[in-house]
Amino acid sequence: MTRQAARIGLVAPFIAVLFAAALGALALQRYSAERHRATATAFVTHLAQWYAEQGPAGSEALARDSRVRFAAIATRTQAGAYPYLHDLRFTAHTVDARAGEVLWPILEDDRAVALAVTRSGVTHLPNGAWRAAVRAPGSDGERSVAVIETQPLSPISVPWWGLAASCLAAFALWLDVVRRSPGRGAAPLVAAALSAGAILTPLGMRLVAVDAAEVGTTLGSADLRGAALMLAAAVAAPLTLVGVVSARRGSGPSPHRWAYAYIAPAMVGLGVLVIVPFAFGVVMSLHERVGGDWRWVGASHYVDILAATGRRLWEPMSFYFTLAVTALWTLVNVALHASIGLALALLLARPTLRFKAVYRVLLIVPWAVPSYITALVWKGMFNQQYGLVNHLLGVLGLAPVSWFASFWTAFAANVTTNTWLGFPFMLVVSLGALQSIPADLYEAAEVDGATRWQQFRHITLPLLRPALVPALLLGSVWTFNMFNVIYLVSGGQPGHATDILVTEAYRLAFEQDRYGYAAAWSVLIFVVLLAWGFVTRRAGEDDEPSRAAGGGAH
Amino acid sequence: MRRLLPHLVLLVATVVALFPVAWVVKMALRSSQTFSTSLSPWPDEVSLVQFEALFADPVFWRQVLNSVVVASATTAVGVFLACTAAYAFSRYRFPGRRAGLQVLLVTQMFPGTLMMIPLYRLIESMGLLDRALGLVLVYSTTAIPFCVWQLKGWFDTLPKELEESAIMDGAGPLTLFWRIILPLSRPAIAVTALFSFMTAWNEYVLAATFMGDERAYTLPVRVQSYVGAYTTEWGLFAAGAVVVSLPVMALFFVLQRHLVGGLTAGGVKG
Repeated sequence: MTRQAARIGLVAPFIAVLFAAALGALALQRYSAERHRATATAFVTHLAQWYAEQGPAGSEALARDSRVRFAAIATRTQAGAYPYLHDLRFTAHTVDARAGEVLWPILEDDRAVALAVTRSGVTHLPNGAWRAAVRAPGSDGERSVAVIETQPLSPISVPWWGLAASCLAAFALWLDVVRRSPGRGAAPLVAAALSAGAILTPLGMRLVAVDAAEVGTTLGSADLRGAALMLAAAVAAPLTLVGVVSARRGSGPSPHRWAYAYIAPAMVGLGVLVIVPFAFGVVMSLHERVGGDWRWVGASHYVDILAATGRRLWEPMSFYFTLAVTALWTLVNVALHASIGLALALLLARPTLRFKAVYRVLLIVPWAVPSYITALVWKGMFNQQYGLVNHLLGVLGLAPVSWFASFWTAFAANVTTNTWLGFPFMLVVSLGALQSIPADLYEAAEVDGATRWQQFRHITLPLLRPALVPALLLGSVWTFNMFNVIYLVSGGQPGHATDILVTEAYRLAFEQDRYGYAAAWSVLIFVVLLAWGFVTRRAGEDDEPSRAAGGGAH
Repeated sequence: MRRLLPHLVLLVATVVALFPVAWVVKMALRSSQTFSTSLSPWPDEVSLVQFEALFADPVFWRQVLNSVVVASATTAVGVFLACTAAYAFSRYRFPGRRAGLQVLLVTQMFPGTLMMIPLYRLIESMGLLDRALGLVLVYSTTAIPFCVWQLKGWFDTLPKELEESAIMDGAGPLTLFWRIILPLSRPAIAVTALFSFMTAWNEYVLAATFMGDERAYTLPVRVQSYVGAYTTEWGLFAAGAVVVSLPVMALFFVLQRHLVGGLTAGGVKG
């Protein structure tokens, strides 16, 4: 009881401080970033406006005007086709009018614009910020076009990934603290110091990056941030080592310290690059991109998708139709993969077969070919005019088929491609499992007079089950999300009918720019798969005893 | 007849498996950019024009280098992360073990379309767009779940007695892992490495999204660039496809003995 209380008493403040620090850092970062963006945007807008009024001649006149020292010309452009992926970029020229030269010709982002202008400008404020004024000649002398005051680039502007990583590291350490019994020397202190270090490392690097940019090194900030990341990793590694060593000395009696030390690197990586983006995606599904902003729309995307707003419940592009197509697609493919793979494996496993190794090597070739190449080649083969498949039909005296004009032929083309692509995996899995079945079982069966079929039914299949079931489950998830084949072979033709859930989500996001809606759609895909996982988990657990009995390919 | 039938079936399967590959090779050896329409998979001419055109481009070599760097770094990082994690999941019983394993499975269900935009933002905020490091980070972490399950299955099959006797001899946890477990797991590690390598070497969608600069492309993006919306330069595409596929095929060929055993242990005990 007291132990428990002490433990909570020790841990609770730790979590609270951590939480508060995280929130505070987030808020500050947000504030400074917003403020900075706002000033820079306003500045650039002013400049663009001025530039529109004056025109290129204006800037030439400006350059000739001896009263003007500095001028800046800025334009806003959008870098690419996707309004979301390619943000607005600000390009600016700052000109030293007296010397008649361009000082900072092209600058990539708003921060760089601000920075360049501050450097061409005049005042260095005592708080570390810069103020710059850009002036244009007017009838009444100079007039100020825009004044910009930069925030001192605050060291608190932690990049959010750094914060996420730090929180994860801190959480892992917290777990360790929980496992240690309280009051044992310096363990909690060490944990706190480590997490503080983890948080401060990206902070410090950020500061370094800013400084370097201020003094105008030729290094890009991307280089610096990349270096910062690696440095953070380099710092984290010895810290982990210290933790490991201290664990080894037994300063912390956690019995699980080794286990956590071993899984930590993978879990941190997974957390930052898989879990965090996933969470971000879920948040995205509750917003809609309007103009340049994300607007909160709550669950309305989900409602729209599930109620099939704007279309019938059962037609291409409705969630339910697409789900049904996806289910059919998965079922047919997994069945074909498994049956072809198993059948070929049974043939290859015969002890008397010759050229076994040759067949085995040649049959897994499709696996080695990148799937997008496979898909494109098969698409060519199914082409109505020059495709090989129709050519073959012609040789057999049949009329050419327009493969992508109707649902079933397009679906068949997809399935053919994916089967070609996928059977080697099941072949290899089955082959390995078959080899692990002891031969004396068959000999015994033969002595008892069992037929081939009986042997297959009562020896082979049950012993293959533990290997095949996980492979089938994994295969079903992969097929369910198989993007390349559908997108590249049939491309959803005719009229989105053969699209599966993921390709439809891709279209929604990248062809129709409905990012929020596409995110909600993707979350629903995940929910469907999760439900499937729950259903099949029971099947997996039923296998537990047989796994223990039949396991061990070696 | 009974002896011939298996050969017949296997031959047909082999022909079907090799046909499209032979087809690509044939197109790569032609001098025109059109899709070949004759049925025979044998090359009707042997011309190295396409390869010459490809190899003469200095940017192409730069892209080869990108691919090699990305794929080998991914393999190194991915295998390291997967080995350590799989070892813990296989040998230790700790709170969170089951949950951790479930999480690994669940991440396999995340649809790529949901991850793409957030990943882009993440990589962008790290300043790693157009950089090999960005792809390496993403590839090695997305490959972790499968690799961990795979290796855990293998580790599970290694007898515990080995480690027990090593502990009797005074080996610490690190020694166990480095000196006992890893050397015994070479086949499984080779297969895991092969998969990590393939993931990175063959991946197209993310590479195309993250790499805007032609000099930063990996090979799949390059090869894909020959496929246009209306016309496709089949000759160059095929030559590129051959170049991309060859290393993976070679690795498959070298590792195929391990493939059967290494993969199945993971499956059996998964």
